[in-house]
Amino acid sequence: MTENTVTLHIDGTPYQMPEGMNLVDAARIYAGIEIPIFCYHPKMEPVGMCRMCLVDIGFEARDRATGEPVLNPDGTPQVRWGRKLETGCTTRVTAGMHIRTKTQAVTKARKDILEFLLSSHPLDCPICDKGGECPLQDLTMRHGPGTSRMAFDEKKRLGKHLPLGDLIVLDCERCIQCARCIRFQAEVVGDDVLAFHERARSLQIISISDPPFDTYFGGNTADVCPVGALTTVDFRFGARPWEMENIPSISPHGPVGENIALGVRLDRDSGGVKRVKRVLPRQNEEVNEIWISDKTRFGHHFTLSPDRLQTPLLRKRGELVEASWSDAIKAAAKAVKEAGNRVGIIAGPMMTNEDLYMLRGLAGHVGSRKLGVWPPNLGDPDPVAEVGIAAGSRLTALGKGDAVLVIASDLEEEAPIWFLQAKQAADRGAHLVVANMRTTKLDRYAGHVIAYDFNEGVDVLNGLTAAAISHRWTNRSALERVNGYDELTAALKGTRQPYKEAAEAMAKARNLVVFVGDDGLDPEGHTALLRAAANFLIITGHAGQLNNGLVPVWPGANTQGAFDLGFSSENTRAMLKNPPEVLILAGAPAAADPAYAALLDRVETVISLTMFHNAAAGADAPTTAVVLPIQSFAERDGTFTSAMRRVQRFYTAHGPAGQSLPAWEAVGLIGERLGMPRPPRSSALVMQALTEEVRLYSEMTYPALARVAEQFPPIGASPDFYGGATRSAAGGTGIAWPSRAEGRGKLTVKAVRAPEGVKPGPGELVISPVRRLYDRTPEFYTATLMHGRIPEPFAAVNTADASRLGIANGDSVVVHVAGAAVHVTAVVDSYAPEGVVLLPLYLSSEPMPLVPLAGTVEKITEPVPAD
Amino acid sequence: MAEHILLRDLDIPDIRRFEVYTRHGGYEALRKVVTTMTPDDVINEVKKSNLRGRGGAGFPTGVKWSFIPRQEPIKYVVVNADESEPGTFKDRQILEGNPHQLIEGALIAAYAIQATAIYIYCRGEFWDLTHALDRHIEDARQAGFVGENILDSGWSCEVHTHLGAGAYICGEESALLNSLQGLLGQPRVRPPFPAQKGGGLYYEATVVNNVETLTNVPWIINNGADAYLQIGTPESPGPKIYCLSGHINRPGNYELPLGITFRELIYEHGGGIPDDRKLKAILPSGASGPVLPATDAVLDTPLTYEAVAKIGSTLGSASIILIDETVNMAWAGSKMTQFFAHESCGKCTPCREGTYWSRRRYDTLLAGRAAEKDIDILSDVAGQMTGLTLCALGEFAVNPVVWTIKHFRQDYLEYIQQAAAEEKPAARGKGKAARDAAAR
Ligand SMILES: Cc1cc2nc3c(=O)[nH]c(=O)nc-3n(C[C@H](O)[C@H](O)[C@H](O)COP(=O)(O)O)c2cc1C
Ligand code: SF4
Ligand code: SF4
Ligand code: FES
Repeated sequence: MTENTVTLHIDGTPYQMPEGMNLVDAARIYAGIEIPIFCYHPKMEPVGMCRMCLVDIGFEARDRATGEPVLNPDGTPQVRWGRKLETGCTTRVTAGMHIRTKTQAVTKARKDILEFLLSSHPLDCPICDKGGECPLQDLTMRHGPGTSRMAFDEKKRLGKHLPLGDLIVLDCERCIQCARCIRFQAEVVGDDVLAFHERARSLQIISISDPPFDTYFGGNTADVCPVGALTTVDFRFGARPWEMENIPSISPHGPVGENIALGVRLDRDSGGVKRVKRVLPRQNEEVNEIWISDKTRFGHHFTLSPDRLQTPLLRKRGELVEASWSDAIKAAAKAVKEAGNRVGIIAGPMMTNEDLYMLRGLAGHVGSRKLGVWPPNLGDPDPVAEVGIAAGSRLTALGKGDAVLVIASDLEEEAPIWFLQAKQAADRGAHLVVANMRTTKLDRYAGHVIAYDFNEGVDVLNGLTAAAISHRWTNRSALERVNGYDELTAALKGTRQPYKEAAEAMAKARNLVVFVGDDGLDPEGHTALLRAAANFLIITGHAGQLNNGLVPVWPGANTQGAFDLGFSSENTRAMLKNPPEVLILAGAPAAADPAYAALLDRVETVISLTMFHNAAAGADAPTTAVVLPIQSFAERDGTFTSAMRRVQRFYTAHGPAGQSLPAWEAVGLIGERLGMPRPPRSSALVMQALTEEVRLYSEMTYPALARVAEQFPPIGASPDFYGGATRSAAGGTGIAWPSRAEGRGKLTVKAVRAPEGVKPGPGELVISPVRRLYDRTPEFYTATLMHGRIPEPFAAVNTADASRLGIANGDSVVVHVAGAAVHVTAVVDSYAPEGVVLLPLYLSSEPMPLVPLAGTVEKITEPVPAD
Repeated sequence: MAEHILLRDLDIPDIRRFEVYTRHGGYEALRKVVTTMTPDDVINEVKKSNLRGRGGAGFPTGVKWSFIPRQEPIKYVVVNADESEPGTFKDRQILEGNPHQLIEGALIAAYAIQATAIYIYCRGEFWDLTHALDRHIEDARQAGFVGENILDSGWSCEVHTHLGAGAYICGEESALLNSLQGLLGQPRVRPPFPAQKGGGLYYEATVVNNVETLTNVPWIINNGADAYLQIGTPESPGPKIYCLSGHINRPGNYELPLGITFRELIYEHGGGIPDDRKLKAILPSGASGPVLPATDAVLDTPLTYEAVAKIGSTLGSASIILIDETVNMAWAGSKMTQFFAHESCGKCTPCREGTYWSRRRYDTLLAGRAAEKDIDILSDVAGQMTGLTLCALGEFAVNPVVWTIKHFRQDYLEYIQQAAAEEKPAARGKGKAARDAAAR
């Protein structure tokens, strides 16, 4: 879109509008004039199908000979009106354009189209999920005819409960054939899962994929559907829209920090308490736009799951038994006090900033610095603080002339919204480079796919940097503020540069965003890869610029917050060598890794703050002495910091599970027993204290985080739901803290090399963990509706390795690694690189290491022993 | 006309064969343009001939070609052989009897716009013709008229055929392009038009022409635009294949100049109406154009784009269906509405819903359950579609309703009066048609 502003008249009034903008959007935003729509969606290409947006369009007449405007006697320009009405949604703002939206023809056309749509519509609004937030209802009230002349018994009768896959149900009678659902899946996501079948009045939505509706984004179709034709099995017939309160919240799943709204209502089936009935996206153009992944949408059931721990537990006579909070806190405080500075903390991915702040306060009080992050495989995050994507950047701004690099990450599995945004950036013309040791779905959209061998990601980045240096694709003025450039140049001398074209495209791109994951990396490798990415961003002059920078694909919703507050993965690993006396597991499923399961046995006492009392959280460790039930994100206020360093606030949606407390409060109670000041009374006050102590967060008070940045186009805020059921940004759009590169100071580049990596012995393979979106962690598995989508435990084995080992696709195998035995099904596929077995995490409850290690894969000939 | 220009198979039975075609001057026009004319020369000659598209709209062919941006590296010619209009069967005879002339015409068009490939989109039922066409194309390729470096000119052009799957809408050019690309056969939003980058086949600039249109082209090149302008009228020059069907003694294709009158065509060439019954109505362009009552004024109207437009209809593809006095025109309207309700692609609301609703109204009418207000509803529904649809099919669909009501309201009232008289509608229908309808 050009930023050129032109004059366009609507109903006689002149307005200034950006040239080339979609007329429907421009009229709404710049003139406050509603052009009603059904099929148009501001995030998709217009198709002109529903014909609801018909307007009268004219142009100022010009004299053929002179080119001068032809004037009316009163001096106003003469307008030549079109022969027919035109669809506003397929019209772009042009200078000298005149629009009429109030003529009789337009009014009649709207009424006529609505009458047509209603002639086939079942009008079962009283039992329709969309009733109350339905564009068809709203526009009928505003523009429609009062009665229908279509005889009811002549309406087309169609299927009303047609499952499109296991999550979405189609009501064919309600469908108005706008194709928004098809277009969302095909255009926005790139999953060809839906299509029209048949034609004329028999035109019908079907799923064309196997398994049906196979996508991570399907729930969004129910939002954009302008009627109640698509419903999710989660919400279907669950509540009426107006009965629910929409509580602003943040997804607890993954690093994106999707802005969501939790629709809560008192619920009879849950014993009359408030519960989440549905999760909707909340618009935030700098984060998730108006989309959320199905994991975020459906993975909310853990918040009031009966599996949640309801009361504190205390070990008495060798058994963990229910206890009162005061006894449990007393026991925990006693253990901490006795350990003194030999207290270690491992904080999990859903710990909020408030929780982490109180945990670090407790550690500080006893003089401990053992603040660990779970998972333990992550490298040094400092490059993120230095060159992380600039605050206020939008992936939606990337297009022609820009570039995106995704390295060592399967974005679709690890951060689905970023997958979608990287794909759309490529669609808009951005140069996408995908580098990994394995194939990922994003490869389809890439201009360059760089397939490297295990552990060679750092070499790839070094090669790109070396190419940029030797071809002078560096940025002169940027180099003036760089330390270590000469050393880097020297160190990279002679580095192979096999990906010159990709290097050039990225180096010369106007904007460059680099996603760095931890696929196949141990902590040293991850540290090196982050650093190597930073080097490239710095020398090419991208660091510190808006819409540029590094995005780490962290595993957790608040991994970045933990780093910001001084927790680290390195500290976690250090505990293996030097076990603390008391280990506090704060929402960290540490026993899911055999090395840490062993650690639990090596410490004196484990205090576990957890939502779920399970083996991963230390339930089976004899050293676990106190277990404290903590609240989920839906039961309390708090903040998460996304991997783009955006601190975002979520609000209490419903009451607590059992006697659970927010983790910060539980920690505060322990601290109080140890003589610390009384803990703050509210989450807001904890954050207040945090802002005073942590400089990066000095702005992040609750009132500031509640501020709403203007959204464009304002989809969620629209009263007639023209972009779907998405909620407005109300509740706050959060604040990102700026990277150092955004300041004026010096930046440092530093040569790094790939670490040793794993050296498998004879007969061994590398066993490399990978993350899958859908797994069997209790935070997700409690969503029973998703069970059919979660893969059975498997390991991907390369075709060549498999044939060497005599393993066929579908064989039961056991993977032996680091003392663990993991029973899985072999998936033989060239998608795994040769010599590397990809072992998805958390698909079974068997512990497995979180870092790549050498191991073996063996076919099981005996039946698997029942456990 | 002494000799046929288009249906040359009537003069030379074996002309479909490559050797016979070439023996009778075939591919000389192509040789002429490729070796002696620039692409612009070709476009100008066709422009000058004022050849108008025979697919229905009558758009000047040379002008259409001149819209193609020259500098685009990839351009296509698409031949519309979907021939699905009720009562149209002329393209079929060309494909069957004189295919090389079509191939030659398409190649000349391709040369004129410097296209890289030609796609011939044939209606699904033409599978046998299409396989034969593939062999004819192969023959032309063997002789160096198709493929790489045609006649050593440095210009290369492939010719492909493609079979549709039985949808009227795929004759509409943008739906045809979608179908050719393997997408759902639904029309596209325009602009961009097929001739523009972004609007054509695979989103490249594309000329879409009807079979008959292109079959005219070799003759124009061989004989010159001036000779062509001698045939027909200045505004509608050239020969036209008229498809006569319905109540006519000698149904079939007639290649005659544009500008002869309905009367000449029907009574001299077609042999008049069977049993000398009275001609009641004429559909000059299949189901798509407005029906005309068979008045003397109509019968004396020349068959040209402009004259037929003046009397309130369209010449379209000149698929002329004749209807005699035994037919109730409300029944005829219902038949055509059924056709459109079946063939609407469903993409846009007014056509999808309007055709369905109209069909249901006709069902009521023919079942003797309608009142006079239902005629008004039918008119209203048609009015609600007019001007609001995405493509022309929706506009076509309105015609049978509006014009049968306008010219033959009495036929509608008959059904209603029958109902009012509480007689069994089947007992007194005018002819078989009404009885059939009532029996349903
Ligand atoms: C509903 C519909 C059906 C059509 N069917 C045909 C067809 O079967 N054959 C054809 O040549 N043109 C058909 N047309 C016209 C084409 O869209 C297009 O105008 C034509 O192929 C252009 O060729 P011409 O310029 O040579 O006439 C149809 C148009 C519409 C709206
Ligand atoms: S299901 Fe909904 S979104 Fe999809 S075509 Fe029908 S009305 Fe549109
Ligand atoms: S007018 Fe009919 S055929 Fe044309 S796009 Fe609309 S629904 Fe399809
Ligand atoms: S046609 Fe414009 S909104 Fe549907």
